[in-house]
Amino acid sequence: MSIDAIQRSERRESPGLLRKWASRHGWAVGSVVTGLAIWEIAARGFVASKLFLASPSQIVAAIGPLWRSGELQVHFYTSALEFVLGYGAACILGIALGFLIASSRRCKQALQPWVSGLYATPTVALAPLFILWFGVGIFSKIVVVALLVIFPVIINTETGLRQTPQNLVETVRSFGASRRQIFYMVSLPAALPFIFAGLRLGIGRGLIGVVVAELFGARAGLGQLIQQSAETFNMPALFVGVVVLAVAGIVLTSGFVWLEKRLVPWGQD
Amino acid sequence: MEASVKLTVSGLTKRFGDLEVLRQINTSIGKGEFISIVGPSGCGKTTFLRIVGGLESASAGTVSLDGRVIDGPGRDRGFVFQQDNLLPWRDILSNVGIGSEIAGIRTPEQRALTQHLLELVGLKGFEHYYPRQLSGGMRQRVNLARALAVNPDLLLMDEPFSALDAQTREIMQTELLRIWEEGRKTVLFVTHQIDEAVFLSDRVFVFARRPGRLQEIIGIDLPRPRALAIKRTPEFVALVDRIWKLIEHDVRASVIEEHAL
Ligand SMILES: Nc1ncnc2c1ncn2[C@@H]1O[C@H](COP(=O)(O)OP(=O)(O)OP(=O)(O)O)[C@@H](O)[C@H]1O
Ligand SMILES: [Mg+2]
Repeated sequence: MSIDAIQRSERRESPGLLRKWASRHGWAVGSVVTGLAIWEIAARGFVASKLFLASPSQIVAAIGPLWRSGELQVHFYTSALEFVLGYGAACILGIALGFLIASSRRCKQALQPWVSGLYATPTVALAPLFILWFGVGIFSKIVVVALLVIFPVIINTETGLRQTPQNLVETVRSFGASRRQIFYMVSLPAALPFIFAGLRLGIGRGLIGVVVAELFGARAGLGQLIQQSAETFNMPALFVGVVVLAVAGIVLTSGFVWLEKRLVPWGQD
Repeated sequence: MEASVKLTVSGLTKRFGDLEVLRQINTSIGKGEFISIVGPSGCGKTTFLRIVGGLESASAGTVSLDGRVIDGPGRDRGFVFQQDNLLPWRDILSNVGIGSEIAGIRTPEQRALTQHLLELVGLKGFEHYYPRQLSGGMRQRVNLARALAVNPDLLLMDEPFSALDAQTREIMQTELLRIWEEGRKTVLFVTHQIDEAVFLSDRVFVFARRPGRLQEIIGIDLPRPRALAIKRTPEFVALVDRIWKLIEHDVRASVIEEHAL
């Protein structure tokens, strides 16, 4: 096919794609736009003081100065670093511990009470303690994030490995599979969707961890931006922090869904 | 005759705790024979097949394949399960190839065999489909191809067609016969459907229950190759009737028992 023909066919396709996109996302976009409009009207018309609510337009306007001064980048970078390090450590450690608990009865007995107990505890409440112990730098935040993320990862990994379909084990066993082969051919792939679900759950919890830990004392970060803006009643700047976090959450989660579709392609239609 | 014995079962007994599931099974099966096993629910058909497959151990007695006592699963036997048990994360090609993968065989011959089998079961062109993208009948054919792909001497089939609708089932029966005629493997085929057993087999083993035992062996000397039309001949109907009379009492008892539970 010539380049010309490709371009022509692309042109022919584009209205179809647009319609497809609109039918898939039309309601979501409409709903968000309506929500923003109501917010804008409410902020301008009903809430008299700028000290209580910032309108979407004010928030957008606030991004400019924060960006130009380089403040926003520093906050974003700091939080991102805390998140990535804490989340990464928790994923690696959590998956490893999940494997350990699933593979050994003794490990399960020894670790289960801690895992169940700490998962049920609102560990964010311990954030001030970690700041006391590890200082206002990023390390204390990394610890809080890791602590919040690790438990769903452990639990899901363990559950996934325990849910190995026995009929499939039996099948590969009938071909003479070794324990190792059973693990790699059946247990591990069967556990993958569970592990992914745990990692996905961890994203939201990790972001909460970053912000809450920073609220209790930090030199920089989106949580610190929010906290400092609240103290000075700078609502637009506060909302900039919130919006950046929300966008990060959405992007990370949908990126994850995308990755999952590629790594676990047998799961969905 | 002695030289061509494939499987010898002697004094085979199986207990699960206090429950005696199989008692004193003695028989031998010739090379290339197609044997069906029928009997009421719970008489130990699956258990028998699993012991032959090496997935379960005997409480007493032995089963030997080519004179060697079976003590575990092996590539000389291919198991076709009642549920297709395909690995959902593998496409059809690598599902069929799993036996050789487990054995660590990666030869061009093996690949050719896998490909040939996919053709044989009518799934050429579906190599890269996932199991969920296939119909029940297609999945069951993959299940069969997977067992054949290790080129087993003995094929163990536990109600492989029970999940299929009546039409697909009849098609699968003729397909199975066609494949069997090609390679003449020894087959042990468990089914609840007596006409299926008669249609496929050289001999039908009738099991009785409480405890499970080999009650009678019926020779099926209908000419081969067989077409579906044979099911309407008087000889065929008479054989089905005869087997049904043998197990009728037991089947009624087991149904009543299950209702009482
Ligand atoms: N692992 C096991 N532990 C305990 N009892 C078992 C086990 N497997 C089978 N049994 C019992 O052994 C008996 C025979 O079971 P089996 O599955 O071999 O019967 P079956 O002839 O295949 O029945 P069906 O026709 O319903 O498939 C049943 O009473 C069953 O409850
Ligand atoms: Mg059974």
